[in-house]
Amino acid sequence: MDRRDFLKIAGIAGIGLSIPGSIEALADQNETSLAVATGASPEKITRAAIEAFGGMKKFVSRDDIVVIKPNMAWDRLPEQAANTNPEVVAAVVKLCFEAGAKKVKVFDRTVNDPRRCYIQSGVADAVKNAGAEVIFTDERKFKSMKIQGEAIKEWPLYTEIFEADKVINIPIAKHHGLAKITMSMKNWMGIMGGERNQIHQKLDQSLVDLSLKIKPALTVLDAVRILTANGPQGGRLSDVKKLDTVIVGVDQVAVDSYGATLFGMKGSDLGYVRIAAESGVGTMDLSRVNIKKISI
Amino acid sequence: MQNSRRLSQAIFLLAFLFLFIQTESKGADELGYPVKLFLDFDPLIFVTTLLSSHAAQKTFYLSFVVIIATLISGRVFCGWVCPLGTLNNIAGYFKRRKVGVKILDWNKVKYYLMISLLASSLFTLQLTGVIDPLSLLIRSFSLSVYPLFNYGISAMFDTVYDLNPRGIVDVSESIYSLFRQSVLSFQQPHFRQAAFVGMLFFLILGMNLYEKRFWCRNLCPLGAFLGILSRYALLKRSVSEGCTECGACSFECQGNASPDKKEQWKPTECFYCWNCDDICPHNAVSFGFHSRSVSKSSPGIDLGRRRVIASMMGGVITVPLLRVNPLSQSNMLSTKLLRPPGSLEESEFLKRCVKCGECMKVCITNGLQPAFLEAGLEGIWSPMLVPKVGYCEYRCTLCGQVCPTGAIKRLPLQEKMKVKIGLAMIDKSRCLPHAHATPCIVCEEVCPTSTKAVWFEKSIVKNREGRVIEIQQPGVDLQLCIGCGICEAKCPVKSQPAIYVTNIGESRSDKNRLLLT
Repeated sequence: MDRRDFLKIAGIAGIGLSIPGSIEALADQNETSLAVATGASPEKITRAAIEAFGGMKKFVSRDDIVVIKPNMAWDRLPEQAANTNPEVVAAVVKLCFEAGAKKVKVFDRTVNDPRRCYIQSGVADAVKNAGAEVIFTDERKFKSMKIQGEAIKEWPLYTEIFEADKVINIPIAKHHGLAKITMSMKNWMGIMGGERNQIHQKLDQSLVDLSLKIKPALTVLDAVRILTANGPQGGRLSDVKKLDTVIVGVDQVAVDSYGATLFGMKGSDLGYVRIAAESGVGTMDLSRVNIKKISI
Repeated sequence: MQNSRRLSQAIFLLAFLFLFIQTESKGADELGYPVKLFLDFDPLIFVTTLLSSHAAQKTFYLSFVVIIATLISGRVFCGWVCPLGTLNNIAGYFKRRKVGVKILDWNKVKYYLMISLLASSLFTLQLTGVIDPLSLLIRSFSLSVYPLFNYGISAMFDTVYDLNPRGIVDVSESIYSLFRQSVLSFQQPHFRQAAFVGMLFFLILGMNLYEKRFWCRNLCPLGAFLGILSRYALLKRSVSEGCTECGACSFECQGNASPDKKEQWKPTECFYCWNCDDICPHNAVSFGFHSRSVSKSSPGIDLGRRRVIASMMGGVITVPLLRVNPLSQSNMLSTKLLRPPGSLEESEFLKRCVKCGECMKVCITNGLQPAFLEAGLEGIWSPMLVPKVGYCEYRCTLCGQVCPTGAIKRLPLQEKMKVKIGLAMIDKSRCLPHAHATPCIVCEEVCPTSTKAVWFEKSIVKNREGRVIEIQQPGVDLQLCIGCGICEAKCPVKSQPAIYVTNIGESRSDKNRLLLT
């Protein structure tokens, strides 16, 4: 075989290999890539939004060990909208078990005292009742990992995230003094050990670096109540807006880009969404995302 | 009788330890257990607090139970109930049994100590907690014994975890998790002076090797208080004609009450442990409420009039001695003396605080630490918030819930969230956005008040390369700041935080005000 023949064969093979990919991409256009459900019951809208993807079975397989990462970093009550809505988290836990999950673990590395955050947020009780294991983070399980990003090279991260079969991110959408809005990508700060508050020095890039390291099977953005000011821990009920909405997607950049619209912003207004889209983490341009809206 | 006494001692010690371990947040607003119960039963704390502050906590009426029990049956509290007594009792078993060794006859010392404490408290100085057995025990456990127990157990399991021997880690981790759910603390506690407080405690236990129950016999002021009462106790010991004065009971006696000297038995020193009754080979000893008692001939306590007066004088002189110190003027407090939220004005606070350490044990962030000399010698081991160790959790009211004397008021949550324990200020020469053109918003992010006390001003700054950046620089709104110290605790400039709290502006003090309002 001479060089020319080789190139020919390689070329044909290349086309052949790329065809199934492009067919899949075409199919994607018709499938849901973002589901937005609105309604009075947090559990029902969560179920409906995930159903729009064909149900939890698409994401969780029989005997999977699933880690769920809500935001419950603050010693605040559910109505103050500083932590993920407990009913939304519990609904996801139930769906995981219905899909055959063996074990569901829920945790967060909190900012306020973890005991108070877990209880006062209402998340611990809600997910325990749904059968999940609620664990306090164990200092010994933060292990230094290579990230090789632009801003973070190496950081201690919580090992259980990487040992799980599936990871589901369930942030809440709320105001933040530096990030402007905190949603899915920023929720990964909750698995960082060490002196994580240093990343505020290069926050947008750090969040993108982190997002490249963690591959959630699914992201459920809680917008049942959103916090519009005084975030990320709020406290005042007048800053809380009830939207009765959840947004579900696999692409966390798309989820955050959509989330920005709830605050009257665009994805491109958020530095970390813009950089993430440029780095190929996901899609920021919502016109290229197939959004299914459900109302219950 | 010995076995029932041991059973009673075991029950009370375990109850004490149980309540001690429950003195910890589970995440709810209330603790759910009456963790300060033992202190509520302490009549000496009750009386001295009443004298020093003219205030009686309602729950202290429980201490009448102990007073009445003593008037009926002597120092049963010392022999059957007191958890420190029980620990001394256990430590005493390690003493080598030597016959005929003369022991110190120091048992009057405790009366002089008690008299001094009463005299001081009459003149508003409350020092009882320093040597009151229950206060001392809770403090020693909180600040030292329990932290070191936690440290030891965790270090053991951590070593196994790190070495990771095959097959063993799973077992050790499940045992560890059992420990964590039952007796270990949620997080390792750390206290300044842990070693100092601990050494004093172990010294007290160690003295049992020299003379058993050394502390209880010779030093305990509560024992002295109950001793005086037990002089009139109805339950008396009597010795029948069968006694040959063989001395068998003499070594067994817990209280050095001269049981072997028939007529010289000292009811004020007796713990009513019943050992002399149990050991007597002739079965000549009995306890009972009978009138045929030896009481009329039994010695009272001859303390000596001059010594009593000297003790009183000592107690009275201590008051100005400790107070002629600029720190005890309320406008000259040590800047870092941040009192827990709900604390009374400093002089009132010191009149009540018995340094039991309950608040420090329960503090959810470990931020409440024992003072050393920050509040003068009078305030040694009283609680102060050290934000670098731990901040005051905004929605937590536990310290006020456990304070036995009301030195820290029990505040409803809504009120507590408004109490200023000091004010935060920014050190612009260390702050990243102010001094180093570097973004950082941590103090604002964690500030718990709403509206946040930490606010931003957008400024245009130049970095070293001359690049112009827009940066948010923090400032503190002194009207809104409550001095909780979370900003100081979380500030990334860890060595010497760029935002820090001092006690200026604390709500409890009229003299420490800052703002004209």
